[in-house]
Amino acid sequence: MENRVKVLAAAAASCFCFPAMAGMEIDTVENLQRKQSTYKSLDETFEIQNETYRGQQYSQIYFARLHMMRTLLYSLVTHWKPHVPVCTVLGLEEGKECIIVGTLYKHMKLKPCILDEYSKERSAVPLVKHHNFMHPDDHLVLEDESGRVKLGGTVLSPSVYVTGVVVALHGKETGAGDFMVLDVLEAGLAPQIEPQLKSREDKYVVFISGVSAGSSLSNPLQFQLLVDHITGHLGDEKEQGIAAEIVHVVIAGNSVEIPLGLLNGQNLASKDQSRLSEPVQELDISLTQIAAGVPVDIMPGSNDPANFSLPQQPLNRWLFPGSRAYNTFRSCTNPHCFELDGVRILGTSGQNIDDLKKYSEGRDGLEFMERTLKWRHLAPTTPNTLGCYPFTDRDPFLIESCPHVYFVGNQDKYGTRILKGAEGQLVRLISIPKFCNTGMVVVLNLRNLECHTLSFETQFSS
Amino acid sequence: MATTPSNMKGFYRLKKNKSGITKPTSSKKSSLHLVPSLGSDITQLTALISHGSPDLKDYHDNHEELMRQFDMNMAYGPCLGMYRLARWERAQRLGLNPPIGFEGLLKAEKVRSECWWDGRI
Repeated sequence: MENRVKVLAAAAASCFCFPAMAGMEIDTVENLQRKQSTYKSLDETFEIQNETYRGQQYSQIYFARLHMMRTLLYSLVTHWKPHVPVCTVLGLEEGKECIIVGTLYKHMKLKPCILDEYSKERSAVPLVKHHNFMHPDDHLVLEDESGRVKLGGTVLSPSVYVTGVVVALHGKETGAGDFMVLDVLEAGLAPQIEPQLKSREDKYVVFISGVSAGSSLSNPLQFQLLVDHITGHLGDEKEQGIAAEIVHVVIAGNSVEIPLGLLNGQNLASKDQSRLSEPVQELDISLTQIAAGVPVDIMPGSNDPANFSLPQQPLNRWLFPGSRAYNTFRSCTNPHCFELDGVRILGTSGQNIDDLKKYSEGRDGLEFMERTLKWRHLAPTTPNTLGCYPFTDRDPFLIESCPHVYFVGNQDKYGTRILKGAEGQLVRLISIPKFCNTGMVVVLNLRNLECHTLSFETQFSS
Repeated sequence: MATTPSNMKGFYRLKKNKSGITKPTSSKKSSLHLVPSLGSDITQLTALISHGSPDLKDYHDNHEELMRQFDMNMAYGPCLGMYRLARWERAQRLGLNPPIGFEGLLKAEKVRSECWWDGRI
């Protein structure tokens, strides 16, 4: 009998070994091959290494956004209401029906303003609510280069829209100088490209977010169970067979939680310095195990040691000395866009949707996600209430090609839905819950875009 | 000192040298009206005078004038914080049809690469 020992290789194809349980000798070794998929990164537009800051203001990115969206909307308007003239805000005439295209601005009474700190009259409004700044008196304004006009009417609900969305409005100017909106046109879902080779076998992508290594909430055993499952160290052949169908792992942000007390700017004692790096080291140990077996993408989140403003740049590879040895380990930007076997997957670590939740109303996270796709902009509230880099030549958050899968990390609960577009586009929306709270990860089947969850529990119920 | 030795006379100059700085002679009377004084409204005088005549050109040739018009044109978006060539390329990419000659001017470096307001704001 051959005595074969196989080392778990770092290449994309990795093998599971399990010795036959009968007898003490390792006489036969059966190998389960992990499935593979072709990967293509589309993150180039989110990288800012080539950008130079030359003192520009945010007017540049708003101009780029308005122009790109307006060109698109002008082409859609000719099919929407072909007989209504299009004009600019300054060209509005009272009583004349026309279509105007511009950026929405929502005037919010409760939106925290830095000038409030300097105002002489201290009003009775107490501490700012963190969860939502909406107020019944909020109103919308439409702006383009020539001017701005206050929007009236009941068609456009201020609770749905946020500052930064570019829309086309059909209506007319009233005597009071407002623009009475009769109808609104959003850009709608972007055109979608069908994947050329549709996979005929089941291949799974695992989405995790909110691991929060180092936090008091996180349970290291829970995450280790997940790692063991993915790498095939858990369960019998059947379970390993299931794990062998996992072709990719995406970690969508908030993978570490550095103790807040250490980040107040004071000098750290030597014992505290080691506490600073422990969460990342703990994460690296687990990531090394995953990367040894399957391609893994790690995205930064709001709590991770990355830059604050979007697009967040990839976590420094030197934070992960163990995992970076593997070519399967990829540190990616937030937002992250890539293609697996031609299936286009786009997602963020949650900041874009969390900001929408603060400034608008929706049923659930999926509804906000749907809105961003229909507005063709990943994060319309940038740079108004969500930090972003002042790009001059482009707005990288514009969605030019509709993804097949759109995910958002660090949400409160799991949710998923298929969104259908007007031109037959199909998008699988995934809201990934925080792993440290729920122990849940989301598994997507690339063949049919179906989703299910995997839960890991460490409590032994009697 | 009551008496000054004769060889000290050359040591301590008692008269001004005629070869030193002199008052402006009548041949330069034409520039007197440019002296900032009561009744004159010219400021930052010295910067403007070179070679004896006011130098009001200051990058102000035809090409630079055209580029200033390009900077000020609202259709191409804000100009601050961008190189003129980058703004031209952005305008091109957004389909705004900026004048093609400008690209040549900017690449040949016949005009300033930064916008008119750069460094002034």
